[in-house]
Amino acid sequence: MTEPYASRHITLNHCSNLRHKGMYVTDTFASERQEIEPTAYWCLCTQKSFGPDGHPVSPGDCKSSRRCCEH
Amino acid sequence: MARRRKKLEAGSWKLEAGTQQQPPPAAQAAPPPAPQGPPRNWPPVADRTLIGKSIKRLDGPDKAQGKAKYTYDIIRPGMLYGRLLGSPHAHARIKGIDLSAAEKLAGVKAVLALKDPAGEGANGKAFYQGDEIAAVAATTEEIAEDAVRLIKVEYEPLQALATAAQAMSADAPAVFPKGNVSQQSLQQEGDVEAALKSAAHIVEGTYSTQVQTHTSLETHGGICEWEGEKLTAWVSTQAVHGARDGIAGSLKIPQTNVRVITDYMGGGFGSKLGFDYQVVVCARLAKLANAPVKLMLNRKEEHLVTGNRPSAYAKVRAGVDAKGKLVAFDAETWGTGGAGAGAAFRVPYPIYVFPSRRQRHRDAYTNAGPQRAFRAPGHPQASFITEVVLDELADKLRLDPLELRMRNVLSATDPSQEDPSRQWRKYFPMGAEKIGWSKRHPTGDPASGPIKRGMGCAGNTWGGAGSRATRANCQILPDGSVLARIGTQDIGTGTRTLVAIVAAETMGLPLTGVKAEIGDTNYPFAPGSGGSVTVASVSATMRIACENARDELFAKVAPALGVEPSALAAKDGRIQVKDAPSKGMTWREACKLLGVQPISADGAFGPGLSSTGTSGVQFADVEVDIETGVTRVKRIVCVQDCGTIMDKLTAESQVYGGIIMGLGFALYENRILDRNTARMVNPNMEWYLLPGMSDIPEIDITLVDQPDRGPVGLGEPPVISTAAAVANAVANAIGVRVRKLPLSPDAILQALNEERTGGTL
Amino acid sequence: MKSFAYVNAAGEKEAVAALGPERGRFLPLAGGMDLLALMKDYIAQPDRLVNVKGLDRAIARTPDGGLRIGAAVTLTQLAESAEARRMYPAMTDAAAEVGTPQIRNVGTVGGNINQRPRCWYFRNEEFPCLKKGGSTCYAVDGENQYHAIFGDGPCHIVHPSSLAVPSVALNAKFRVVGPTGERVVDAGEYFQMPDRNLFGETVLAPNELLTHVMLPPPGAARTATYEVRFKQSHDWPLAFASVALSMSGDTVRGARVVMGAVAPIPWRSPAAEAALTGKRLTEEAAMTAADAAVQGAKPMTLNSYKVQIARTAVKRAIMKAAGLKTV
Repeated sequence: MTEPYASRHITLNHCSNLRHKGMYVTDTFASERQEIEPTAYWCLCTQKSFGPDGHPVSPGDCKSSRRCCEH
Repeated sequence: MARRRKKLEAGSWKLEAGTQQQPPPAAQAAPPPAPQGPPRNWPPVADRTLIGKSIKRLDGPDKAQGKAKYTYDIIRPGMLYGRLLGSPHAHARIKGIDLSAAEKLAGVKAVLALKDPAGEGANGKAFYQGDEIAAVAATTEEIAEDAVRLIKVEYEPLQALATAAQAMSADAPAVFPKGNVSQQSLQQEGDVEAALKSAAHIVEGTYSTQVQTHTSLETHGGICEWEGEKLTAWVSTQAVHGARDGIAGSLKIPQTNVRVITDYMGGGFGSKLGFDYQVVVCARLAKLANAPVKLMLNRKEEHLVTGNRPSAYAKVRAGVDAKGKLVAFDAETWGTGGAGAGAAFRVPYPIYVFPSRRQRHRDAYTNAGPQRAFRAPGHPQASFITEVVLDELADKLRLDPLELRMRNVLSATDPSQEDPSRQWRKYFPMGAEKIGWSKRHPTGDPASGPIKRGMGCAGNTWGGAGSRATRANCQILPDGSVLARIGTQDIGTGTRTLVAIVAAETMGLPLTGVKAEIGDTNYPFAPGSGGSVTVASVSATMRIACENARDELFAKVAPALGVEPSALAAKDGRIQVKDAPSKGMTWREACKLLGVQPISADGAFGPGLSSTGTSGVQFADVEVDIETGVTRVKRIVCVQDCGTIMDKLTAESQVYGGIIMGLGFALYENRILDRNTARMVNPNMEWYLLPGMSDIPEIDITLVDQPDRGPVGLGEPPVISTAAAVANAVANAIGVRVRKLPLSPDAILQALNEERTGGTL
Repeated sequence: MKSFAYVNAAGEKEAVAALGPERGRFLPLAGGMDLLALMKDYIAQPDRLVNVKGLDRAIARTPDGGLRIGAAVTLTQLAESAEARRMYPAMTDAAAEVGTPQIRNVGTVGGNINQRPRCWYFRNEEFPCLKKGGSTCYAVDGENQYHAIFGDGPCHIVHPSSLAVPSVALNAKFRVVGPTGERVVDAGEYFQMPDRNLFGETVLAPNELLTHVMLPPPGAARTATYEVRFKQSHDWPLAFASVALSMSGDTVRGARVVMGAVAPIPWRSPAAEAALTGKRLTEEAAMTAADAAVQGAKPMTLNSYKVQIARTAVKRAIMKAAGLKTV
């Protein structure tokens, strides 16, 4: 059984600076997308929950359309 | 206020009764391939000299004597002390930052502004109390503390959202650009409405849990020391390699220039996996001041900015049929993870089979420190909500709540009970026996007098698999000493001791014959200590590295003994022929054959030495004084598996710690924000209540050893069920359901004054 | 914390001379359990501390058969004094419940009585509350679950001292020294409501010192303190009560009933005292007195539960004094 709340759904389309716990503790950073999952995200550059542009980070937000996105 | 609704997208649950939950194949990056090699095994149970025994942690005496230096204790020559200035406002525009007075204070060596009045979003605003505005480094802590108060910040205070209810109210100010409330997300399976119509009994209620802060005894922070372009950072972290990623990435310097060290660590519980903001600031101060700087947060900052377990609210309708089979669970859920962060959790808790289920969830953003992973993220909340609903359904059915669980727990239909990670049907009766469940009265203690006694129970599940990315190194030196090196870290759980146990067991040596070295990015990669992955990752990988090294030694020894290397065994401090133990030599003699060149062998995580998936149950026996609302937990019984127990003593310690933390969640801990300013009123250990010695009950632990499975992580499971079991015990005692945590005297007296639910069987 | 000067006072005179009339500038330091925390939180920022640990730290019998407790006596010393325990269990029980063993080992009787409120709005520097010269009591519309259920404000603290409450119940007298000599103040007159004194909690002037607590001869009084606290380790009482009952055989001749953690001062209940007077000590009498004690309570938005807890504390304190089972 995996962690019941699998949350590692970062893909290569996301900003390479998007981080979450799963990336440091498991061996894969891509997994199933759950609509409801409890993960906390942060930005590698700022080390906070807000990106370099001052706005919150999340898989929904940290895509190529975002100004500060690097992928 | 900009609140957006969007179409609902249906997700689906993979969890089914009697089936394994499997993630679908990775969509993008594939995991590292599992290294090839010989099949790996742990020694037969009868041959194990260390694994599974109660072994005291190797660094226990050093810790008890103060010889173990935690990050907080380290003092470097010429070291300065850093301090942060946090926003006193939970929501404010930063209109100006004047550092000059602080810069002029004698003893101040570096001052940094961390916000930009011209900046957008969080760059020019404080979104929560404690949001970092500026930092100083000075020759003493006191000067640094005085200096931050000399920094003049011009704030334009803005209306702050303190609670989920405020964020969700129709007239809330628009604090967050994309709205204060997230789009609704949906997961469902089956036809909930139809199933509820078919139910014999339905329970409806709103359940909630509070915000809990991690309250690590050692606060967040580190010491940064530059030597040219190279940075050494002693960091209180759960992930040395993760911290290196964060520090190098944020400072935009090569990872090769950053070394992170964590010798001893004073607790993180998920809050020290990444988010290394204060260490990055520390490194910048150190660069500016050209001196080592220590920057550790104070207790107040620790509560405000280092994460928390988000609040959880659930409006539930759940149904059961006349035979006691659960039929449906429908929940509208929300919660707040603070400024811009989510608060999701998944209900119903997945160990119970509700054939039809639906959850609609929204996150409410508030002006509070953002959440972080917290020991079993989402689980204690979901467990509390689901297990309390189960007890209420049992009361409606006039059925023993234990029996309702037995009929509906996952794999309940599988009589063989072969899956070792789904043993609830075995553990519930074991726990019931230990707590004395047969003496449990129906809901509402009939005894006269104000003290009411009651019992409750709850179950849990977790993963805890090892990471295939783990690597380790083992060296056998010509003098016979053994070095076991791995870039993991001991977050207080006994990992250093675990590494030594694996190495010594593999080499056939006593614990004193090996040296475990961890907590350093100079050692091979190991994952962050989160998700309960450490024991499986480290044990398996270190076993392989040590076997590889040992096999190299066998190759040196075999010709001398005139046998094949495969005929050899390392046992009792000797290298000897398996079938003829008298034929052999001492470990020391064997190592002399190395001449002057040591063996150094690497190991990569491989299959067969660890497993995943745990099951456990907890029972609580409580007393409630209905004239004061004070609950005293008398006893907690826990039955828990974790695969192969590597060290019984430290495994039990994990369970004690988890249960005590769960008790804090059940009764005491509560981050209280002033509803008008969104400032925390209890950022301390005085009013942020934690269980003290006298509040901790007798804890009865049964760890079920599964010696052939290999180890599975145990960090998270024991914290999950405690609050749910205590809440159910309280209701059993007082005959009234308390649907929110913490179970404070206030909440209990309030519930007693409100409706009586459940009735008496 | 702000830098400060430090003076060692050899005696009462030197101590008083080292203090000054300006509030908050020169402060006496005994155990420091409260003061140092206030200073670390930048709530107190004195220029000078005057060490008064050297003042009288003895518990002594007085000629009239009472007890005289030096202000520098530690809480442990008081709690463990066999004589005090025999004479005034209400006092020693209260002392034994303060904080933690570490705090009791260092904290003093004078420090406990004169400590500043624990109100979280007062203690957090971000809140410029009334007591700190601000214009708002944040508790009124805020998080007032631990605040007062008696009193009309404008500040809604509860008095933090465990010893103040039995002191009032036992009709103690406080010896105070100041620049012009000494005075003796009834414990019942020592504590002041916020409408009379917003920036302090007692009659003590900034350059005065509390030196002794003097307890009258116990006579045939039965005394008890009963605390209701949530946590058993290191927690503040949600409410508590001290009672002193002068007995004539089985019958109460006179009673003093005082509640703690419910008002800005130890809150005496004449109604409860009247309800007990002339009654035999039964659970029923205790219940009636407890109901009377919380008559007139004016809970705030979040603390009506404290009324029930205060009622229970009074009932159980009376039962404890009577030697009845409390639960």
